[in-house]
Amino acid sequence: MQTQQETQSKPTVLPQKEVDTMMQDLRELYKDAPDYIKRALEELRGGISEIPDTLMETAGRIGARQGVVSELTVIAPFAKGGAERLRKLLALTHGNFSATEKVGSVHDMRFVFLENDTKMLFATAYDGDWDDYLDDFVSKIPNELDVIFWNFEGWPGIHSPSIKDYIAQFQVAAEAWYVSNPRLSVPQAKRLEKIDKALNEFLDKIS
Amino acid sequence: MATVSLELTEIQATLLRSRPAPYYGTHVMLRIDDARGGRELLHRLVPHVDSAADWWLHDNAWTAVTLSYAGLVALGTPEATLRSFPTAFREGMAARAEHLFDFGPNEPKNWEAPFGSGQIHVALSVFSGDQTKWRLASETAWTQFRELQGVTLLMSQDFGAQPGDLNSFGYKDGIGQPAIEGSGVEPLPGQGRPIKAGEFILGYPGESGVPLVMPQPDILGRNGTYVALRKYQSRVGAFNRFLRENGNTPEERELLAAKLVGRWRSGAPLTLAPERDDPALAADPRRNNDFDYAKDPHGYQVPFGAHMRRMNPRDTELAQLTDVNLHRIVRRGTTYGAPYDPDAVSEGDDEIPRGVYFIAMSAKAMDTMEFLQKEWINKGDFMNLRERDPQIGLQDKDSVFTIPQHPVRRRIHGIETFNVLRGGEYLFMPSLSALRWLANLGS
Repeated sequence: MQTQQETQSKPTVLPQKEVDTMMQDLRELYKDAPDYIKRALEELRGGISEIPDTLMETAGRIGARQGVVSELTVIAPFAKGGAERLRKLLALTHGNFSATEKVGSVHDMRFVFLENDTKMLFATAYDGDWDDYLDDFVSKIPNELDVIFWNFEGWPGIHSPSIKDYIAQFQVAAEAWYVSNPRLSVPQAKRLEKIDKALNEFLDKIS
Repeated sequence: MATVSLELTEIQATLLRSRPAPYYGTHVMLRIDDARGGRELLHRLVPHVDSAADWWLHDNAWTAVTLSYAGLVALGTPEATLRSFPTAFREGMAARAEHLFDFGPNEPKNWEAPFGSGQIHVALSVFSGDQTKWRLASETAWTQFRELQGVTLLMSQDFGAQPGDLNSFGYKDGIGQPAIEGSGVEPLPGQGRPIKAGEFILGYPGESGVPLVMPQPDILGRNGTYVALRKYQSRVGAFNRFLRENGNTPEERELLAAKLVGRWRSGAPLTLAPERDDPALAADPRRNNDFDYAKDPHGYQVPFGAHMRRMNPRDTELAQLTDVNLHRIVRRGTTYGAPYDPDAVSEGDDEIPRGVYFIAMSAKAMDTMEFLQKEWINKGDFMNLRERDPQIGLQDKDSVFTIPQHPVRRRIHGIETFNVLRGGEYLFMPSLSALRWLANLGS
């Protein structure tokens, strides 16, 4: 059952035989490497033998998830003048859109302009599956989304029934995805911060 | 009387008629073995399928017919039409287990036949407020397929006829449905503003102002809707044990039972009757749903984790950006099996056949069901909780239920999965014209 365990457990250690096989495969892949790389590879053995208790799985149509945290990576072509407009918009808002805070499920967002401002790489860590809440975003923050996405080629407008497909066509799957706190959703992290503060204030008072 | 802007004579009755009280009924699942037999079945059934015309009078029994994707295939529906149905519907409920959080005991491999086998092609339901009319309508329906070549009866399940119309845990259920714009009736107090018809019926503008994508041709899609059918076995022993372990007196147990749902077993909402049950309030449809959570921001009356608050948060401030009007469904709970037994406490009692065939209807029932299952039922982030729905959630080991209290909340450990999924199907409920269109395929 893929339910989210509430408590951290110790990583499982693979049997030596399996680690041996994996090492063999790696040696084969690195057979043309110089000696110092081969020696470095041997040093990885310890790390390879441990598997963490949450592993990468799929999120939504494309994309990876670990625990409750998913990744979305998009590489989209800019519309004419889109790069310049978006750069100014990002600078004016310091990349911090008021709407993002309201969304409550976005851990971070990264905007990287590629290939002479012809494309943008957008990468984000978020909770759950992005298309589950898309209709809510369309209903609640359509203007914010339109103002950003209009800078990309072929944006059909936020109320188009094809926006899920529009976004998915530019999505790139991550080969690997690591999350240090795989059980911490955005609301949960905020809650813990509040509890920590309250607990310390309480301890300050009684100490 | 509010304006009618829906084509009520086209829409099947179940979508708008409320469940009668008392209620009686039967669900029948059929397999189409050859396309001709399937079309003949629809030909014969169509004259007996009821529309939603004058639905507010509902003094008669009615019959509803729905089809699964496999059923549409078996009828010989053209490829282009099949492709125009949404992916989740085409895959079917069993294949969507991961999207529905149907893991562990709820996994399709643990379902009862014929669910999950891909053989359910037609689901026929008879509803009635009267025992004699129910038998007559059932007999009429059976006459249409009993000796029909090319159609096989898979199962038949009677429902309703429960003492006091209560569900398998002894609650009055089905209170508080979304109001649908253009359906002809003023919303009841507390029902909220009417929601755009397109959220529930294909072919009309939805909340975003445009109609949802519908199957083609138009005559097939328009005035139809989708149904998510889920069969639950109610573990009444586990439920009673939970109440006994966590409540010392009958009064404490009743209060705990009310906290789990947000309503007393009578149906009286805790928001309006926080201290003790109020059967008169419960019985008054103009009062029993007339509340919001403005005066209960801490959940002292209705816990954030209570089933009713999770499934319809109303004005609760949510931790995630949400338009609550996009996640509403029309529900028709149909209780089957042995009545609730307050003295049942054994594990054997958990397996006595009783529970609910839960019917959820909307123009995007698959999306809504999957959203609810993943986000509102089996996760708690939206309510700032780390717990699952106490009624239909799939509980982990040492799952909890929190009752907000001042100064310190009460957190109850060891809540179990009270309703176990035993089957389910995504179904299409075509309009009456669409049923005729399907019956005439190939001619």
